Amino acid sequence: MLHRFLEDGRQGVPQFESEARKCGAKLIEAEHMLLALASDSESHAGRLLMESGLDHERLASALRDEHRRSLAFAGFQAPDEPQTNAAKVDGPLSLGTSAKVALVRALIASRSHRARRARLKDVDVLRAILLAELGTVPRALAIAGVDRMTLISRTTAPES
Amino acid sequence: MLTNTDYATTVAYVPATEPSPLGEPADGLAAVSALRALADQLEEAAVERAMRDGWSWSQVAEALGITRQAVHKKHLRRLIAAHIELRRRGAA
Repeated sequence: MLHRFLEDGRQGVPQFESEARKCGAKLIEAEHMLLALASDSESHAGRLLMESGLDHERLASALRDEHRRSLAFAGFQAPDEPQTNAAKVDGPLSLGTSAKVALVRALIASRSHRARRARLKDVDVLRAILLAELGTVPRALAIAGVDRMTLISRTTAPES
Repeated sequence: MLTNTDYATTVAYVPATEPSPLGEPADGLAAVSALRALADQLEEAAVERAMRDGWSWSQVAEALGITRQAVHKKHLRRLIAAHIELRRRGAA
């Protein structure tokens, strides 16, 4: 479980899962991890996102815009909630592909830079999420007008 | 017969710039992903509505154009968890 890897224990699978559930998703994806990181304004990752203008609300709005834009490309608009509102199954959500890729990337980077370190920092996870060049997260960041490369470079700077 | 050089020039395509996450073809691929998720959500809600209205598994399967077993496998656990009364096979 991820909470074993994250250094301060405040963020991890429960927070990622909570964000995924709020979005009505069946899998935890990278965008849900990013929302969880953005929701903790006291963490290093949360501060970096906030400094780039991405608090939780702004990020959630950008993700909604991304979803609308994607559907609009095919000539659709998101239906009203009652049409898609179904009962949800309790129990843990699994990690989706984008989340797995981000976590593997974060673990590899962490172990190569910090020998024998078993736990990830939240900023390791943020950087790994941001390294994806295509997909929902980079699309939402572009829509929000956030420079992904600048944000990535900030994740390597020492914590102020 | 293609030489190595011909093969490289005719098959291997290296884009001049990094692909953009917005615009085409990224928007088209994102639309596919969004529509798949939306179709799943619509199916869950529509199946649940039909079962609440007393439809049988067979009727739902016929309407969706898939087998009864497929509907059962995909939705049974969720419908039971939602405490929806399900019609037994052969019930009027």
